[in-house]
Amino acid sequence: MEVRTVEQASGRCVSRGFLLAPATTLALAIALIAGTTPWVHAAEAIEAFPRTIVDDEGTTLVLDAQPQRVVSLSPANTEIAFALGAGDRLVGRTDWDDYPAAATAITPVASFTGVDMEQLVALEPDLVLAAGNFFTPPDDIARMRELGFPVVVLYAPDIPTVLTDIELIGAALGADEAAAQMTAAMEAQFDAIGEAVSAVETRPRTFYQVGSEPEIYAPAPGSFVADMVTFAGGDPITTADAAAWSIPLEELLVADPEVIILGDANYGVCPGDVAARPGWNDMTAVVTGAVRPVDDVPVTRPGPRLMQGLAALARAIHPELELAAFPPDPPLCQDG
Amino acid sequence: MTTTDLLREHAPVRQGTFEALRHRPVVLGLIGLVTLAVAVVAGIGLGSVFIAPGDTVAILARELLGLPVTETWASAHQTIVMELRLPRVLTALVVGTGLSVAGVTFQGLLRNPLADPYVLGTASGAALGAAIGVLLPIQIAWLGLGLANIFAFIGALAAIAIVYRVAGGGGRSTMTSILLTGYAVGSMLAAGLSLAMYLSGSQLRQIFFYLLGSLAGSDWQSLAIGLPVIAIGSILIMSRARSLNGLLLGDDTALHLGVDVRRERAILLALASLVTAAAVALAGLIGFVGLVVPHVVRLVVGPNARLVLPLSAIFGAAFLVWADLGARITGELPVGIITAVIGAPIFVVLLRRYRTGYQL
Amino acid sequence: MSGPGLRVDVEALGLRYGRTEVLSGIDLCVEAGERLCLVGPNGAGKSSLLRCITGLTEPTSGGVRLDGQRLRDLERAAIARSISVVPSQVDLPFSMRVEEVVRLGRLPHENPFTGATPEDLQAVDAAITRVGIDKLRGRDVQQLSMGERQLVLVAMAVAQGGRLIVLDEPTVHLDLRHQVEVMTLLTRLSAGGLTVLAVLHDLPLAAHFFPRLVLLDEGRLVADGAPDEVLSAERIRDVYRVDPRFVPALAASGAP
Repeated sequence: MEVRTVEQASGRCVSRGFLLAPATTLALAIALIAGTTPWVHAAEAIEAFPRTIVDDEGTTLVLDAQPQRVVSLSPANTEIAFALGAGDRLVGRTDWDDYPAAATAITPVASFTGVDMEQLVALEPDLVLAAGNFFTPPDDIARMRELGFPVVVLYAPDIPTVLTDIELIGAALGADEAAAQMTAAMEAQFDAIGEAVSAVETRPRTFYQVGSEPEIYAPAPGSFVADMVTFAGGDPITTADAAAWSIPLEELLVADPEVIILGDANYGVCPGDVAARPGWNDMTAVVTGAVRPVDDVPVTRPGPRLMQGLAALARAIHPELELAAFPPDPPLCQDG
Repeated sequence: MTTTDLLREHAPVRQGTFEALRHRPVVLGLIGLVTLAVAVVAGIGLGSVFIAPGDTVAILARELLGLPVTETWASAHQTIVMELRLPRVLTALVVGTGLSVAGVTFQGLLRNPLADPYVLGTASGAALGAAIGVLLPIQIAWLGLGLANIFAFIGALAAIAIVYRVAGGGGRSTMTSILLTGYAVGSMLAAGLSLAMYLSGSQLRQIFFYLLGSLAGSDWQSLAIGLPVIAIGSILIMSRARSLNGLLLGDDTALHLGVDVRRERAILLALASLVTAAAVALAGLIGFVGLVVPHVVRLVVGPNARLVLPLSAIFGAAFLVWADLGARITGELPVGIITAVIGAPIFVVLLRRYRTGYQL
Repeated sequence: MSGPGLRVDVEALGLRYGRTEVLSGIDLCVEAGERLCLVGPNGAGKSSLLRCITGLTEPTSGGVRLDGQRLRDLERAAIARSISVVPSQVDLPFSMRVEEVVRLGRLPHENPFTGATPEDLQAVDAAITRVGIDKLRGRDVQQLSMGERQLVLVAMAVAQGGRLIVLDEPTVHLDLRHQVEVMTLLTRLSAGGLTVLAVLHDLPLAAHFFPRLVLLDEGRLVADGAPDEVLSAERIRDVYRVDPRFVPALAASGAP
C-alpha cells in the first residue's frame, strides 16, 4: 500500500517522510485500498453443502454438511461465529474467549499449552476454526487433521483480510448471507470513519503503546496495529523493522509522539503512570496531556468489533471527533 | 585406634528390606513390572475426559485382542483410547526405558555417577536441531515425523559425533577428555540455541515446550519408528553388560580382565547415543529419568550392569508413564517439569548419601 | 584355582616410543611357580616391561611367550584367563561391596549372556578366604583402609584364576603392617604354585620377600639373581647413584 511504503522508507514515522499533505494522503490511501484489495462480497448465491473451502494457509477442505458442532480456537473466531448467529452451534472454545458473555458457557478445550486433544475428540466436532501465525500450535493443527477433523486456519495480517475471514467463516458455517451483511456494514463504518478523519487537518505522530515492561513494545512497521493507527488518523511510530517488537527509549524520544495511546490500559497502565516515568515528561504528548487509554481488544481482535475499535482509536487520537454512529467508549482509568 | 578402625566398629549391621531385595533381584524385577503394569493401566484409563473403565477394557479387548465385543461406547471414546492414550502411554514407556538404559551406559562408560544421557552435548544438539526444524519455513513430514523430530534426532547424533572426533575419540584419550569436550561442544550448541530462540519470535513457545519435554504429540507413526530403535538398541546394550562391568575399575583393569576397551567403548557409546537420540526425537528433552533411575536401582542391587540395565529399563518406563499421567491430570504440564520436581529432590538425597557412602 | 604356575619367557624384547628407547634387549625367563621382583630407579622401564608381559603394550622388537605360546597370538580374553593383574589402587565411581569387586575377577570366565555360574561364585568365596579377608565381607570398598582395599584387589586377581599374578607397586600407599601382610600373602600364593611377578620400589622389602630380583636401568637388564648378588654395593652406586650406606644392611636379609 502506498502509504505504508512511504513511511517505511524513512525507517520510522516522522512527518518529513510525507510527500503530500496529510488529508489528501489519507483520502488517496482509502481510495487505493478500496480499489486494489479484494473485499469479497458474497455476490454468488448460497450453495448447499457439500462445499469446498480454501483456508488462509491455502489448505483445501471439503465440508460434507453444514457444521453443527463447531470448535473455535481463537477469541476472534468465537466472536465472529456468535455474530453470524451460529453461537448455538459452538461446542468448544479457548480459555480466553470472553465475548459475548454467552461464550463463557461453552467448554474450553485450548489454553496456553495448546489444544487438549482428548477434550476435543470427546466433543466430536465437525468443524474446527483455528488461528494461524502460531496462535494455534501447528502441531495441534496437524494432529487434528490427522484424526480426521476439518480444520480451517484463519489469519488476518491486515484489515481487508479480516473481512474476507468473516466471509470465509460464514461460508464454512453456511451463514453466507449474514456474513455478507456484516462485512457490508463494516465497510460502511470504515468509510464513515475515514470521512470523519480526513476532515481533520492534523495527523499527529502517534505512539500506540502495546506494553511497557520490561521493554517498550510498539507496533512493527506494516503491522495490523500500525495500519489501524493510520486509518484512525494518526501517523504511527513503529519499531525499526518487521522483526522487532520493542523500541528503545531514545528512539521514542527522538520520534517525539504528539499522542500516546495506552493499548495496555486493560492491564492497569494509566496516563498518570506515563507522566511519572523518567525521561517521558519531555514528550509533546505528555506535556500537552495527550495520553489516552483505549480498550485494546476491539482494536487488535480481528473480529466483528473491529470498527468499534477503529472509532475508539480515532477518538483517542482526535478527541474532537464525535462519530455519533458508534457507541461511546467505556471509561478506563478514572484518573485520566 | 585409627579412624578406619573406628569406622569399622560402627559399620551398621546390614538388614532390612533393601538387603533382602539385593539378593533377590528377580523379586525386584517383578515389583517393577507390576508397577509398570499398573501405570500403563492407569495411563490408558485416565485422562482429561472421563471414560468408564469397563468401556476402556472393552475397547482394548476388541481392538487389540480381536474379541467380538458389542460396541456400547461413543466412537469418540474409542478414538481417545486408541489414537491418543494408547500411543502416548506406550511412547512414555519406550522413552523411559531408553533414557534409563542410556543413563546406565553413560554413567558406566564415563565412570561418573553424575552423567546422564545428555552429557555429551546431546541435549544441546537435539534442541538446536529441533529449533532449526521449527524455524525453517518448510512443512514437510517424513514417515509421519515432523521436521523438528527428524532434526532433533540428527542434531543429537551430530553432537556426539563431533565430541567424539574432537576429543580424539577411540584412541587412548580418556573418557574425561570426552566428557570435557562434551561440555564444551554442548555449550557452543546451547549458544546457537539461544540465538535461535531469540530470533524465533512467535515460535518461541514451541521451542520452549520442546525443551521441557512433552509426550503430547505421541502418535502411532512416530512410535513405529522410535520403538524398534530404542528396543533393539537397549537389547544390544544389555547383551554387552559384561563390558560395562569390566570398565568399572578403569581402562587398564578392563583390558586386564579381557575387555577390548576401545571397541566396546565405541560400540556402547554409539548404541547409547542412538537410543538417546531416538528418545529425544520422540519426546523432547525429558530430564532426570536417565540420571536418577540408575542411581536408585544401584542403591538397591549394586553396580552389576547385568541387573542394573534391565531393572532400570523397567523402573524408568514405569516412572515416565506415571509422570506423564501426572502431567496430563495437572492440566497438560510438560512432563519434564514433573520428572524434575520428583527427580531433583531424590537426586539431592542421593548425593548426600553418596558423599557419606551408600550405607543402608 | 591354583594349578601349576605360568612360565614366562621374554625374548630380546625392545620397546621404543618415537626416538626414545624405553626397553632394549630384555631376556628374561620366569619359571612356573617362581617369585620374582623387578627393581630399579625411576624411568628404568619396569612398568613398561610389565605392560609388555601382560599384553597392554606391543613391543617394537622381540616378544613374550606364555608357556611357550607367543603372546601376540593369544586373544585378549585368553590372556585374561592366564594372567591376573592386581591394580595398585582404583577409584570406584560407584559404591561396591567387597564380594562384588572380587567377583569382577571372574569376568574373563563369564559367559557374556548368562553371567556368573555357581563355579564362579565358589571361586570368589575361595579367593576371599585364601587372601584372608572373610571379615570384610559385605563391607563397602570405598570405606575400607588402603591396605584392606589392596587385599581386596589381590583377592580379585586370585579369583581371576590366572596362573601368573602381576603386581605393579602394590605397597605404595600402605603402612608397614599392610605391606608385610601383602608380601606374606604373595609368598603363600607362590608356595601354592602360582608364578608371582612384582615391581617394587622398596628395596629392603623386595630383598626380604623375593628370592630373585631383576635390576633394570635405563631400559636394560643389568642384573638378575639373588638379592645380595643383585643389590651389591657397586650396583647401588652405579645404578641408583647413591652412596650404598644409605641403603640399610641388605646382606642380612636373604631370601626366606
